[in-house]
This record gives sequence, structure tokens and C-alpha cells, in this order.
Amino acid sequence: MAATGEQQGREYLERYKIPELLHNLSALLLYHRPERPREFLIHALERVKLAKLTDAEYPYLVDESNLDAMFEMLDTASQGYITLVQYKGALKTLGLSTQDLPYEEDATITLEIFKKEVKKLLQESWAIYQS
Amino acid sequence: MDATSRPLRVPREMGIYAEKHELFQLLQNMLEGLLIHKPDEPIQYMISHLKQDNDHVPRICILGPPASGKTTIATWLCKQLNTPCITQETLLEETLELTKEVTAFQERGQKIPNALWANLIQERLSNVDCIKQGWILEGFPENRDQAWMLQLAGITPRHVVVLYAPDTVLIERNLGKRIDPSTKEVYHTTFDWPSDPLVQQRLVEAEGISEQETAKHLLEYHRNFPRVFQIYQQILKLINADQPCADVFSQALTYVQTWCRSAAPFTPRILFCGPPGSGKSLQAALIAQKYSIVNICCGQLLKEAVADKTKLGELIKPYFDSRWPVPDNIILKLLTDRLNRLDCMTDGWVLHGFPRDLDQAEQMVKAGIIPNRIFFLNLPSESVMERLAQRMIDPVTGERYHAMYKPAPLPEVQARLKQNPKDTEENIRICLETYYRHAGDLEEFYDNAFYINADQDPYVVFEYIESCIVKPLPHKS
Repeated sequence: MAATGEQQGREYLERYKIPELLHNLSALLLYHRPERPREFLIHALERVKLAKLTDAEYPYLVDESNLDAMFEMLDTASQGYITLVQYKGALKTLGLSTQDLPYEEDATITLEIFKKEVKKLLQESWAIYQS
Repeated sequence: MDATSRPLRVPREMGIYAEKHELFQLLQNMLEGLLIHKPDEPIQYMISHLKQDNDHVPRICILGPPASGKTTIATWLCKQLNTPCITQETLLEETLELTKEVTAFQERGQKIPNALWANLIQERLSNVDCIKQGWILEGFPENRDQAWMLQLAGITPRHVVVLYAPDTVLIERNLGKRIDPSTKEVYHTTFDWPSDPLVQQRLVEAEGISEQETAKHLLEYHRNFPRVFQIYQQILKLINADQPCADVFSQALTYVQTWCRSAAPFTPRILFCGPPGSGKSLQAALIAQKYSIVNICCGQLLKEAVADKTKLGELIKPYFDSRWPVPDNIILKLLTDRLNRLDCMTDGWVLHGFPRDLDQAEQMVKAGIIPNRIFFLNLPSESVMERLAQRMIDPVTGERYHAMYKPAPLPEVQARLKQNPKDTEENIRICLETYYRHAGDLEEFYDNAFYINADQDPYVVFEYIESCIVKPLPHKS
């Protein structure tokens, strides 16, 4: 009985991606360190809910300027592009999936593509949560 | 996290923040709720869970054989904790949706099925007062099935108090039970006799108090209880009911106010304050050894810096030479550097010898050095004198002696013993005076500190300190 109970619990968590959601929420909490964490969480969750219904923004931890800075750090020689390996590394640092990337081995990624792709992936990572 | 990967540098503020706001417990409770109820809309569920804000409300079951005093203890606890008390009788009196069904069963003279009880309780517990203030369930569950039904409904108590007493005592006690028919209050012929003669006159014997009936109830209780015990053994506390009510109550109250240890990551940041000779260094060394955390003595740290000829050490040296106290900002700089090193950040630290006054304590907080366990070791001045002023050293062998605890073995050794000039009574008195001048301020500043009588065996003190470190801090309501 205990085993099935545990299995059911795990399946439930898997289905609704609860661990990932909690992970993201705690990252938000620790980064912003609000005075009233409970209210902050309620607010963040409500934003997620709203963003699912409309096109509003999810409570991202990284914003555009962060992505700019990140790209600059990777592109040390200011060539205007980074390699696929560097791109994958960046995605991993951001906690995003590096599977199914539509690029060749020797592809180069410019700042515009980088920002667009990362944003898309970030949005996808939040969109999997069901209200 | 994988312990073999390189140590992760987490900013110190994050750890302190998470600890202060108990983020771990917050998220854990949320996950617990999600797993129990498995809602189809988890985000909506999480929002309403967070809005309820009831992680710390009491959820208590009080169980015990008949006449063990469950009702008395439950009513007192309810008054103390300001929570609604739920018994089978109160459930029947209230107008809930399921009450009709239950009374129908009663009228037909049938036993009320366990599932119905569980549903009834679930309905009652989802009322606002129970959500906001918690609940105390008295005399339920009576058997394993009921306990299971409660669990299926997602109702789990946090504390279970079980009263016990020898059967003969209970039978004897039940014989004296009297009830006031107009107010329904319970009195007892020997233990709780009303002072008002009017009340005395109208008291009647309670139902089912004869020896046979009590024995029958007891038998049933003994048959059912072991199974209930199995289910709740993790959170169960047995209290002997064969003692004065107030004693039973105080034990029960202490138990329900303790919180179980959480699995939240915990880095000990311990601070010892106390007069010289109170055993700060010894206790710190013991703790540091047992839990492999970093032991930091402030005086030692200064001496090390001077000996290493570091930049800060060069600054400190003139003060040492002229015997002036080292300025606070230098000490603080040194301390912050040391406590921010990786070993202190990951393993935790135990600090003693600093802060010595309120100003230093305030600066320490400003520098982000925030201890999470603070101990004051208290010791009468005579004991300090006894411990410190009689220490001697043998200049030939380097052996240390104490006139009382470790006297010199031979008269010739005794004759050549020398005393450290720091250990004269005069000197110690000055040290003590400076300590007590600031001790009051410090005690006021650290309001969640533990106070320990240091005038006992070092290992007794150590055990007490350990228990305080391991247990979570009590909640301030």
C-alpha cells in the first residue's frame, strides 16, 4: 500500500512539474528576499496564472539586460556571435533544456538569436505548469 | 546536492534569509498539502494554501481511557491555545450538513459508522475557525479504522497526547464523577468538589460510572488502542494521568508546543557569552570537535594575525605592545574575513570572546554576522575566583596545576609553582567587572538567547548546549 501511495505521489509531482515549479519559486524568493515571503509567493503564483490566460509576462528571474551581459561575457572577443558549445553552456547555467536545438555543430549564434531563443525557452519552461 | 561536486558558494544573505523566514518549512508544508490532496489545479491550490497561513496552528489529538481526564486537559489546552475543541458530543450538537444523518443512525439505536464520523469531522475541520486557529480532537479516533478514515480524508494531527493510568485508579476515579444537570459541568467527589452548596445539592451521578461499566469501556479501550498507537507512534506522547491535573496539563502543554525537527539545511552559527572562567573555550572546543565546525576565539584570532605578520596584524601589533584594547573596526574586519571563508560558510562556526559590549554586538549585525544560537554561561563570581585564581604552573616541567582540582603531587613541586600574573585576584576582579558592566546590555540585545548555569560538570553543560542546538528554536507567538 505504501509503495503505491509513494508511486502515486511521484506521478502526481511528475505530471504537474511541481519540483521544477518549487525550484523556480525558491530561486525567485532567495534572489529578491522580500520582507513578506508568503505574500510574495502568492503574487508570483498569481502572475503565473494570469500569464497562462493572457500574454502577460511570467515572473522571470533573468531580464533582457542580464541576457545582454551574459552574451558579452561569452563573446569575449566581441565577434558578435558565440559558438553552439557556448550557447549550450549558457542554457545549462540558466537551467534550461539543451535538447532538440535546431542548430548544426558549427553554427554561430548572434545576440538577437540568443535573446530570442532564450526567451522562448524560458517561456516554455514556465508554460508547462498547469494552473 | 552531490556532495562530491565542488563546494557551492551560496551568498550568506540567502542562507540567513531562508532561515529567518523558514522558507524550507513553508515550501515543505505546501508540498505536503499538494501530495495529500493532489489537486488538479496545483497553482490555484498553492495560492489558497498560502493565503490560509496556518502552518503553525495546533492540530492535536487527545486520547486516553475513560476517566483519565481527557476532557479536562482538552478544555484547558483549548483555553490556553485559543483553539476550538472537538469531541463526539460537540459534533452532534452542532448543525452541520451531516448531523441529520448521524442523528438518524442514533435514533435507530445503531452505531454510527466510522466513515460517517470521519466525514463529519472533515466537514467540521474545514470550517473557518479550525483552519485559522487549529483544532483539538478529543477522544477520537477510538480505533484503527477511524484513524485510517481520518488519514484518508487528509487529516493528520501534529501532536497526539495519550493519557494513561492503572485500571484500578480509573475505576475508582470514575465512581466519584458527578454532573451538574443545569450547567453540564463535571465535578468530582474528592478531587473537584464545588464550593457552592447550591451546586452541591443539585449534582447527580454521571451515567455509566459503575464498576462493571467502566471495566467494560476499559476492556474495549485496551483492545483498540495498540493499533491506534501504531499509526501515531511517531508523534505520540504518553503522559501519566495518575497525578494532579495541573501537572498533567503542563506536560501536555510543553509537548504540544514543541515542534518536530525539520530537515531544513542548518549551518550552526553559535555564540558564547559569559564571564572569564565560565568555560566558553572548553564548550566551544567540545562543540567544534563533535560537529566539526570552526572554533573561533576572538583573542586567539588577533594573536594569530600578529604572529602571521599579515597587514591587519601589523596594525594590531602596536596596540598589543602598548596593552591598549584593539579598536572595534579592526577586530570586526578580521572577524568578517575569517567567518566569510569557505569552511565557516559550509560547516558553521562557534564564536567566543566577542562581542564584549552592545556597540560591538550592533556592529556585528551590521557586518552580517548573525548567530543563530546564543548562549550565556552564568557563573557566580566566587566560582570564577575559585577556578581561575588558584591556577599555578610548574616552571620546570611546564605542567599546570590547580590548588583545588589538581594539586601538586610533591611538596618540592608545590614550592616552585609560579602563578601567571594575569591570574591574580585583582586582575580577575577587573575582568569580571568589565564583563558585568556590559552583560546586561548584551542579554537585552540577544533576546532569544539560552541561559545556562555553568557551575556544573562540563559535560552536563555540554549536553544541554547540544540539545538547544539540535532542537528548533521555540516559536514566539
